[in-house]
Amino acid sequence: MAELTSFSYAAGDSLLHRLDARFKIASVICISLVGLNAYLTGLGILTLILLGMFLGTRLPLFSGLKEIRYFLILLLLIFAARVLATDGIPLIDLNYITISMPGIYNGVLVCWRLILIVMLGFGFVSTTPPATIKAAVQWFLKPVPLVPEKKVAVMMGLVLRFVPVIFNQAGATAAALKARAVENRKNPVYRLTKFGLPLMRRIFERADDLVIALEARAFTEHRTDPELAASKRDWIALMAVGCLSIIVSFL
Amino acid sequence: MNIIEIENLSHRFNDGTIGLKDINLGIGEGSLVVIVGRNGSGKTTLLRHLNGLLLPSEGVVRLSGVPVEEDLLKARQFVGMMFQDADSQIVGETVYEDVAFGPENLCLERGEIKKRVEKALHVVGLQRLADQRPHLLSGGEKRRLAIAGILSMEPRVIVFDEPFSSLDYPGVKQVLQHILALNQSGHTIVVTTHDPEKIIAHADRLIIMQAGEIVRDGAPVDIVYDLEAFGVRKPCDCRLELEAESWLN
Repeated sequence: MAELTSFSYAAGDSLLHRLDARFKIASVICISLVGLNAYLTGLGILTLILLGMFLGTRLPLFSGLKEIRYFLILLLLIFAARVLATDGIPLIDLNYITISMPGIYNGVLVCWRLILIVMLGFGFVSTTPPATIKAAVQWFLKPVPLVPEKKVAVMMGLVLRFVPVIFNQAGATAAALKARAVENRKNPVYRLTKFGLPLMRRIFERADDLVIALEARAFTEHRTDPELAASKRDWIALMAVGCLSIIVSFL
Repeated sequence: MNIIEIENLSHRFNDGTIGLKDINLGIGEGSLVVIVGRNGSGKTTLLRHLNGLLLPSEGVVRLSGVPVEEDLLKARQFVGMMFQDADSQIVGETVYEDVAFGPENLCLERGEIKKRVEKALHVVGLQRLADQRPHLLSGGEKRRLAIAGILSMEPRVIVFDEPFSSLDYPGVKQVLQHILALNQSGHTIVVTTHDPEKIIAHADRLIIMQAGEIVRDGAPVDIVYDLEAFGVRKPCDCRLELEAESWLN
């Protein structure tokens, strides 16, 4: 049975699940902007609130962390770069390496901000059906001149549909290579070639299959628009996010 | 009366390979037709002409008297198609969304879409999985979802391309039950397979294809003994010279 990435919609009936996608997008943008400029106290408050909501919603947070393990390595590199590149009174002074308190502070701050944004994305994607994300994007783009909002929404939908297919295919290809002892080959270029080329070929084949399936079901850009309905609850949530953002921006 | 009429149909692929050669076929409304043949015999190519996924190089396919290429949208609504790989047919992120995909393409009202989706999910018994992600379903459930996706478009003909491949015994029985129920409710059913054992007991007509041509066409009881001459294994009952028995028994 297919295992999917945790970065995909998980059905539920929590408050986060029930909020209108447009309000969620506005909230994510608002908190991201505030988070990018927030300091430790503000980030602490935002993180606690987010963690509380995730726990209340029973989102698979640990699976999510596992999914972003490579991103965490990137964050570690960013942290190291920040620590080494920021001047200040040295805490540790080796020959060529100086670690200072402002460096550590700077590194923690940047990484925390980035993790916060990833967490926001995780919460949003896990609680919002792709069809409503698509509908919300279409709604936001409608007043923008020269942007074919339906086409953009359709392309977004196809990308979202295809991400789990790519993950599944990558998993199957990796397993097939392991079954034939690819781990004995130490040359990374060889391994990458043997992994990458068949994977790309299969992905293109699956894309072809998907196109045929879409055609068989009379696919057209001019389809029934998805339903979006804002309620009092959405406005209250947006106002709460607005207030939180103002408070955090002053901390 | 024939709901599908195929006249002098030939199909040549871009690389020059001949997919179909001079096919003439009429399929009666409400019948259950099984098309068999070894891999590459042209079964899938033929099916894809029924709803305009492929267009003929020569000849014509008519649905209720109307040539397919005259109105492709109508052809795709008229002939629902279930693919060999159910995974490639699933386009929605949830079961409900996937079933709603076809009716949304037909620009139906939201209320009508909801009604059709609920009815289709009820028919295949997937109502309680409406919010489930399709990729987490079992093989049999995925086939049932594919059937629901087709049913929500209310087609008159449903074609199944190798519907039993890679299914376990309970999965085969579930899919077979749905095929028969759809046939009993008035749908015309066309099934392709290279292993007719699972469905031959219920077929009204058996067609054998080889190298893009129809080489035998008739009642199963009359031509089932010819199967092995065309690379298709005879069903066990036939080998033992017994009457064909349903897989549902």
